[in-house]
Amino acid sequence: MAWVQPDDADLRSATMRDEPVLQGFHLTRSFGDGETRTYALRDVSLGLRKGELALLMGPSGSGKSTLLAVLSGLLEPDRGQVLARVNGKEVDLWKLTPRQREQFRLKHCGFIFQGYNLFPALTARQQLEIVLRWGEGVSGAEARERSREMLSLLGLSKKCHLLPAQLSGGEKQRVAIGRALIKNPQFVFADEPTSALDWAHGEQVVELLRIAAHERGATILVVSHDHRIVPFVDTVFHLEDGRLQESEPPDETPPPGVRFRLEMPP
Amino acid sequence: MSYTLTTLWHDRQRYLPGILAVAFSALLIALQCGLLFGLLSISTIPIDRSDADVWIGPQKVLSVDTGQPISESKLVSRVAGLPGVTHVEPYIQRFSFWEKPGGGTDLCIIVGCRLTEDSIGPSKVLPRELRDRLTEEGAVVVDESELERLDIQHAPALLEQGRFATAKINGRPVRVVGLVKGMRSIAGPYIFCSLFTARSIMKLGSDQTVYVLAKCDDPKHASLVVEQLKSSPLQQEQPDMSVFTKDEFSYKSRMHWLLKTKGGLALGYAAALGLLVGLVVTSQTLYAATMASMREYAILLALGIPRWRLRWTVVTQAFWIGIFGVIVSIPATYFLGELATHLGVKPLLSAELMAAAAVITLGMAIFSGIIALRSLKQIEPVNLLR
Ligand SMILES: Nc1ncnc2c1ncn2[C@@H]1O[C@H](COP(=O)(O)OP(=O)(O)OP(=O)(O)O)[C@@H](O)[C@H]1O
Ligand SMILES: [Mg+2]
Repeated sequence: MAWVQPDDADLRSATMRDEPVLQGFHLTRSFGDGETRTYALRDVSLGLRKGELALLMGPSGSGKSTLLAVLSGLLEPDRGQVLARVNGKEVDLWKLTPRQREQFRLKHCGFIFQGYNLFPALTARQQLEIVLRWGEGVSGAEARERSREMLSLLGLSKKCHLLPAQLSGGEKQRVAIGRALIKNPQFVFADEPTSALDWAHGEQVVELLRIAAHERGATILVVSHDHRIVPFVDTVFHLEDGRLQESEPPDETPPPGVRFRLEMPP
Repeated sequence: MSYTLTTLWHDRQRYLPGILAVAFSALLIALQCGLLFGLLSISTIPIDRSDADVWIGPQKVLSVDTGQPISESKLVSRVAGLPGVTHVEPYIQRFSFWEKPGGGTDLCIIVGCRLTEDSIGPSKVLPRELRDRLTEEGAVVVDESELERLDIQHAPALLEQGRFATAKINGRPVRVVGLVKGMRSIAGPYIFCSLFTARSIMKLGSDQTVYVLAKCDDPKHASLVVEQLKSSPLQQEQPDMSVFTKDEFSYKSRMHWLLKTKGGLALGYAAALGLLVGLVVTSQTLYAATMASMREYAILLALGIPRWRLRWTVVTQAFWIGIFGVIVSIPATYFLGELATHLGVKPLLSAELMAAAAVITLGMAIFSGIIALRSLKQIEPVNLLR
């Protein structure tokens, strides 16, 4: 399973890994006010590198989804800054106008939300096409071709014409991944992408995300509860009560910020 | 577009109420207008059943039943002298009062026309034998459906015995010498008689008439003849004269009745209610459908697809619901129209009417899509990231 010819792109991306391309500084976000005010994020700072697959873990209600939303330009932080580096230029995400942020997401961001979120009436291929046609105004023929290619990379070449109801859970999630990757985005944000799957399929999903990061150079942030994902990712962040944990968690999970150097698949 | 149609087909169960609501609105509008037009057309039976191509009557003639007398002298011969005119004759049609044999009066409409074989007036609906009988002064013919209204239910029995039911119109005695079919009216029963009888009932001089009818060598020349008459010295000499083609006059009379009876208002009211029902059901259908896909739409919004693209999708769905609804409504309208005809009221379902109903309901469907757009306002990708 390979996205591109293995070439020296990996080497280049390896050196570029040291440059953070998505950074959050002192991100704070609360909900409600007065007595009922809850802090979902308290002064969170972190950096993600190009080609990095990062995992964000933490107990329920710790602010994982909130952090993902803030970093991806969907939810405005009360305080703090999100800087993204695209095409060598630094963009301050929350200084953009809503329209510019929409454009930024259109060009550079892919999303996978909990559940599959596929249109029941559309075939696997059409789920991807729609993003290209409505987003970039790509012609019908080109959208079809690119969608077909993407689905065959995901091992779904025989399932292009099937409706979500005719696909297995794992296949549906792969279509959702295809939809997130079809624009070839710089950043991919996934909230609990494996929660609806058994581990065999969950592993497959993580593997696909890993390949997308390492071979396409995408920066991918995955929110998950699932510890079995840990060995597959480059970085693990731990969030507890809205704070990134500096201390090592009690179990076998590695401390935050520790980078797993994974062997590239041959 | 194809995504929209695919979605409509896949979720047809969900969209069906919207389609049926549109069909219902279109059907209601078309059928109600058709029935009203059918009813109004009864008011112009004498115009529509005549062979006259041009109608000349007193000015401010609003309806065929309200004309004031004009002078016939010279008019007939002058009109007959116009190029293209082949036949001219006087024609009398006016309201009068039928004095019932049992007491009480009711409105009736005197129709006095020439009884000869070549007459271009509506007397051609009467068989030869009846026209012969009408030549006697005081002889009248009425529609068989109006007997009760005229209080002469015994007329058919009398006719069998060779005798005639009698009554008075405007104080003049009349006798019913025969019955016709299919000449019903809305305002008052038509009383067919000779020009002579009509003049005597209405106390007109032998020189007076209400209308002058003209026939052209080709009905297509009617408007030319009308133009000639309007610009001729005759118009200056007789300023109280107005001229119409048959179709103009028929239309003008129907519109007069439409406005006078407030039938248009009643129709507009019922049609508006039908549209409102269609609007509410269709917009609710679209609203529910959009909410059902809200997670999918939220993903698209997160991916940076502009909101207007989704709005466009909802409005396109509304458009297609409208198209399908209209398609469903057409056979249903004709079917119910046939049914109504069997029940005794014939709706006039012209192509123009069907097209107008289709356009109005299609507009309604699109508007319901615009109303349903509020569903999209509630879709925020961040709400699905929890
Ligand atoms: N729109 C909101 N209004 C009020 N409180 C909110 C809102 N969104 C999030 N919160 C609160 O912020 C905190 C963090 O929520 P968040 O969704 O980020 O948690 P999470 O780590 O993703 O949890 P889970 O693993 O259960 O998905 C929670 O206490 C939650 O109740
Ligand atoms: Mg969450």
